[in-house]
Amino acid sequence: MQTYRNIFVNLKRYSFLLEQLISRDFKVKYKRSVLGVLWSLLNPILMMCVMAIVFTNVFRFSTPGVNYLTYLLTGLTYFNYFSEASNLSMSSVVANFSLINKIYIPKYIFPLSKCLFVGINFLLTLIPLYAVIILTGTGLNMYHLVLPFSFLFLFMFTLGISLILSTIAVFLRDMFYIYGIVIQILTYMTPIMYDINMLDSRLQILLKLNPLYHIVTFARTIILYHEMPSIRAFIICAGSGIVSLLIGMLVFKKNQDKFIYYV
Amino acid sequence: MGSMIKVNDVSMKFNLGIEKNFSLKLFFINLFKHKKKESKADKDFWALKNISFTVEPGEVVGFVGSNGAGKSTLLKVVSGVMKPTKGNVEINGNICPMIELGAGFDMDLTAHENIYLNGSILGYSRAFIDEKFEEIVKFSELQEFLEVPVRNFSSGMVARLAFSIATQVDPEILIVDEILSVGDLNFQQKSEAKMRSMISGGTTVLYVSHSIESIKCLCDKVIWIERGQMIMSGETEKVCEAYYQSQVSKL
Repeated sequence: MQTYRNIFVNLKRYSFLLEQLISRDFKVKYKRSVLGVLWSLLNPILMMCVMAIVFTNVFRFSTPGVNYLTYLLTGLTYFNYFSEASNLSMSSVVANFSLINKIYIPKYIFPLSKCLFVGINFLLTLIPLYAVIILTGTGLNMYHLVLPFSFLFLFMFTLGISLILSTIAVFLRDMFYIYGIVIQILTYMTPIMYDINMLDSRLQILLKLNPLYHIVTFARTIILYHEMPSIRAFIICAGSGIVSLLIGMLVFKKNQDKFIYYV
Repeated sequence: MGSMIKVNDVSMKFNLGIEKNFSLKLFFINLFKHKKKESKADKDFWALKNISFTVEPGEVVGFVGSNGAGKSTLLKVVSGVMKPTKGNVEINGNICPMIELGAGFDMDLTAHENIYLNGSILGYSRAFIDEKFEEIVKFSELQEFLEVPVRNFSSGMVARLAFSIATQVDPEILIVDEILSVGDLNFQQKSEAKMRSMISGGTTVLYVSHSIESIKCLCDKVIWIERGQMIMSGETEKVCEAYYQSQVSKL
């Protein structure tokens, strides 16, 4: 209990640092490009266009009953958050070794700041997502009010994984290469561009072990099918978020004092 | 009021073999060599061994010892960067470690932005930096370059900026690890004067230097460390003299 209170005391104390780290990332990311922050909006749209052209024309994918563009962009938006945030977080502790080695800063602040930074980017990509929802005629509904829960679940799940990855990366630098492959596999294991019902049932069971599938489906239920996600969907998504976060915190906390030896 | 810093029987172990065990290539080489495994204890290196001391409020404590004696490691343990393998450290007050300056700069940001970033890393609040901003800029003499990315700065300018940010605090405990030689001659004198005024202003200071002269004129008490062990501690004159003699006899 004491340690959990400490986390909140520290979070308050270091909130200005957190804010500065996030705004640093923003400035550095956009400073030297002409279009700047517009890229956050353009990037998912352009990616969606490329994938839509490839998958509808070459592979003849379709999603019966719902608009394919919206289907694709929903998946992309959620998955990109996970892959970008976890990737940046993984290198965040290693990249800040020069600081960790000289001054006491709670180390979890580095992966946390990356997850929040990409989170703000994620909120920006909701603008093109909603533009597509409206322009394709998919339309809005009142269940969209529940959608922020999926952001929260996605954030918790990603932060948990990020804490684990950033810990491993300190001890095993090979993780950077390994995770590149893992993300590639996950891209195909998460039904972003295809419908899970296209696959045979055994493969479906395997894919359903992936929490990202459930979080994306949670969002799609609302956006595409205009339905309230089931209680079961709520429990699975919240559960995977909480479990991932708890394991991540535990792993990170247990190992953080050893980081300094691997500088 | 009790002691400001209490270091109780602190030991710090490093495993020098860490680097080696990690490569697959070496693993296979060793597999075929059938080399007798080095015992783990051989690779253990004790950077600090059973160090204990206390520092009272307002005391200025100097640390002397040859390169690699463990002085910097000790300061890192005191400032909380490293957890000691054995023993513990009690601190009563906020610490400003000035161990190495400018570690928190982002080269792509302007001087203006870096003042806020680096300040937040040192644990300052926004209000505090707002208040001290003018003073920092004035002290660093970088008024004209405020909106220039730090990557375009010379190393002396970076050091000046870093020094100016780091010395704005009124910490209860100040940790100084040889940073006085910063910038050009004019700035060196200015920074030394600043350091002296901070040190003489009643803060508790831990001071590491190879310059016996500056230790002699600043410190109330000196601790001599060699190979991770405390050789001597006490009055400045006595310890400095003994340390000096041992260095001379080595020549």
